Amino acid sequence: MNASSTVLDIRNLVKSFGALRATDGVSLQVRPGEIHALIGPNGAGKTTLVAQLSGQLRPDEGQIVFMGQTINDVSAHQRVGLGMVRSFQITRLFKSFSVIDNVALAVQSLQSQRGSMWRSVAKDQAVYEKAAAVLKEVGLHGRADELAPALSHGEQRVLELALALATEPKLLLLDEPMAGAGPEESQRIVELIESLRRDKNMAILLVEHDMEAVFRLADRISVLVNGALIASGTPEEIRQDSQVRAAYLGDEVMS
Amino acid sequence: MQFGPSAASAIPKPASWPIWLILALAAAALGFWMHSAGLGYYLSMISRMMIYGLAACSLNLILGYGGLVSFGHAAYLGIGAYTVGILITEGMPNGWLGFALAMAVSALLALIIGAISLRTKGVYFIMITLAFAQMLFYLVNSVKAYGGDEGLNIKMRSDFGLGIVLKNDLHFFLLVLVCLVASLAFMHMLMRSRMGRIVLAQRDDDIRTEALGYPVYRYQLALFVIAGAIGGLAGALLVNQQNYVSPNLMHWTQSGVLMIMVILGGVGTLAGGLWGALLLLTLEDLIAEVTPHWQFYVGWVLLAVVLLAPKGLSGLPELWRRRRPSDPKPSGDGK
Amino acid sequence: MTWILFLEQALNGLQFGLMLFLLASGLTLVFGIMDMINLAHGALYMVGAFLAAWLAQLTQSFVMGILLAIPLTALFGMAMESTLLRTLYARDHMSQVLATFSLILIINEAVRMIWGTDMPLAAPAALSGPVELLPGLYYPAYRLVIIAVGLVIAGLLYLAVTRTRVGAWVRAGASNREMAMAMGINIQRLFTLVFGLGAALCAVAGAMLGPLLAVQVGMGETVLILAFVVIVIGGIGSIWGAFVGSLLVGFVDTFGRTLMPALFREIFPPQVASAAGPAVASILVYLLMAVVLFLRPQGLFSRR
Repeated sequence: MNASSTVLDIRNLVKSFGALRATDGVSLQVRPGEIHALIGPNGAGKTTLVAQLSGQLRPDEGQIVFMGQTINDVSAHQRVGLGMVRSFQITRLFKSFSVIDNVALAVQSLQSQRGSMWRSVAKDQAVYEKAAAVLKEVGLHGRADELAPALSHGEQRVLELALALATEPKLLLLDEPMAGAGPEESQRIVELIESLRRDKNMAILLVEHDMEAVFRLADRISVLVNGALIASGTPEEIRQDSQVRAAYLGDEVMS
Repeated sequence: MQFGPSAASAIPKPASWPIWLILALAAAALGFWMHSAGLGYYLSMISRMMIYGLAACSLNLILGYGGLVSFGHAAYLGIGAYTVGILITEGMPNGWLGFALAMAVSALLALIIGAISLRTKGVYFIMITLAFAQMLFYLVNSVKAYGGDEGLNIKMRSDFGLGIVLKNDLHFFLLVLVCLVASLAFMHMLMRSRMGRIVLAQRDDDIRTEALGYPVYRYQLALFVIAGAIGGLAGALLVNQQNYVSPNLMHWTQSGVLMIMVILGGVGTLAGGLWGALLLLTLEDLIAEVTPHWQFYVGWVLLAVVLLAPKGLSGLPELWRRRRPSDPKPSGDGK
Repeated sequence: MTWILFLEQALNGLQFGLMLFLLASGLTLVFGIMDMINLAHGALYMVGAFLAAWLAQLTQSFVMGILLAIPLTALFGMAMESTLLRTLYARDHMSQVLATFSLILIINEAVRMIWGTDMPLAAPAALSGPVELLPGLYYPAYRLVIIAVGLVIAGLLYLAVTRTRVGAWVRAGASNREMAMAMGINIQRLFTLVFGLGAALCAVAGAMLGPLLAVQVGMGETVLILAFVVIVIGGIGSIWGAFVGSLLVGFVDTFGRTLMPALFREIFPPQVASAAGPAVASILVYLLMAVVLFLRPQGLFSRR
């Protein structure tokens, strides 16, 4: 497997907090059009890993290679420009903006002169059209003009996803997108993720606890325990792996 | 289909230019009338209130819209004032030069202070902006050549040529009015621009904004510099109005007064600072007629506003609406 | 600079630093436990000083003045906390800043209405003379008493915070309030107590510094800023940080004021030196804070 065939190539990443090795020599690849799920018990270091990928934390050792380019020194906001965007486990939306304005801000990020003080927001038809299109895609078009906090928790998770989508990423880092969402919304999010892979050939690194969703969506699964990967492979392989069953899955999921 | 920012969003509504024009003309007319009626003294007082209003509006830019609690904003007011004051003292009363330089120096200072302060967050940001303001206060205080702690008197006002005589109350009032309207128009345009949207977003959640690809620090810094420049403009006007400037203008308690004006008038509104300044200074003058202890009463009013009406004057209509039982409660829970 | 002068300045720095510590320790705990910026802390210092001056006049005894002022200020502080300040915990920092700033205006003016703009407060006659610490080194007895009181209180605070159960609760609350609450600690009552203690310490500082710095309206503002600088340097929520920070600020400020002008006179022409020297001295403390924040943004001993 050479560099050009992977979207994301994590090589021997290490991150310590004092005596605690939160990331212990993790290596992982995500290929184009692939959904690679990352699972593990609480405290395994999944969020720390995502934070290093998105640029909020600096790894102590190892490389993060994105589209063939080592991005360790690339700042968080620049990574978005390169095509790597994350969603948050705890919903982070712009509370004083409407739903469509939330997405419009994300779309604006791609425009030239995105920070211009001379271009009025009202004249940005193209930006709003794009935002409306994204909202249609995720099914929130009907709530476009309402304030973001007016949405139900599950709808907010969908909006969270929409924000990431609006930046036209090459790689989506989804940090527990279904956290706190009810069964209906979880279903919606799962279908959305599936359509992304199908229609856009998007590469996705999915961190999730919802095992049903993971086994349904993932092309490959990696299991993180105490900062290190103990197994990596297809869903079938992971299901059979005795180490994984012992450390994490338990027999409940096998039913 | 026509798209645009939703009515609900925090992005300021489009300005109604006719109304602005009418208000500005009415104000000018008021000035003309007062001048010819011999009420020059009161006109001068109104000018002073408007200058503080301008300063408070510039603070509202970073405080209300930007969400950055800067406790050192009075420093820019003072620096602008001293720049003009020193130039006049040194025999360079040209208004165009003085005012331009006042804004430039304030902007430069804001750039330096902002570049360092914005690397911190929360209370540390508040503290470090306060510290910088205090540093400037002490520095200015110790320069005996320009008055030191006694302040600097200027013998004449800025000279703009073109037949403008600032010693004339009416001319001065009109200058202040022009500066105020121009600044408000600029700030309005700024907040309705793409940059304005980014500023409002980072106020809600700067991490999210960064995660969407925006270098938030840069926009915060740009906002800081703009606010500093407008503060400098207010300072240039103030030293002309008082024919005097003292280091006390830069003391942290002055920054506190500016903040109070912002909250009285409405945090995060365009002209909130102006209304707040008018209200506070009028209140001070009125109560001071009755008792020397006006600070006591004003303090209680402020406390009440902070605790009960946090949106200041601008929030009063909303508060009033909520009190009437016939109105349906505003919805906000789709949970 | 002679050795005598050096030691004298060192003692002055120690004295100033210790008094700052009394203010800063209360402030850092308030901030650390309740995450609240309380600008009115300086007002408590002023109220303590005025009460001491007034009561000293009434009882004709400096000591009685202080001893009575302490519990009264503590009560005032606790009353302020349980009525007004409590509503501010849930609010954002800006609201806290504005509300407590209004309190400064109210309290300043109230004091002026009751007692006037200033009040005399003299140290006890017995302590007015100098003490010979070393051959040739004379130091005012009163200042030595301040140092002694400061050290004793610092020691007691240290013991209270590290050795008692309440102290453990305070430390827990200062580093993680939610966790402390989850462990069953009644944060609200603890906090009112801590606030009262902070007010009492302010009163001690205000009363003791009164004879040196003048008891007047507005005395709180100058010292408040320094107290905030101290806790930012030391790390919010850390008593030890407040101690180290206070001494640092005390020494830097005191030595700065004597050394800087002298240093500048050596290097620069007299006109520059006479202006720049005192100016730089005043801002040294802020420069110190800026440097610390740059190197260690959360303060030297932060627990967060």
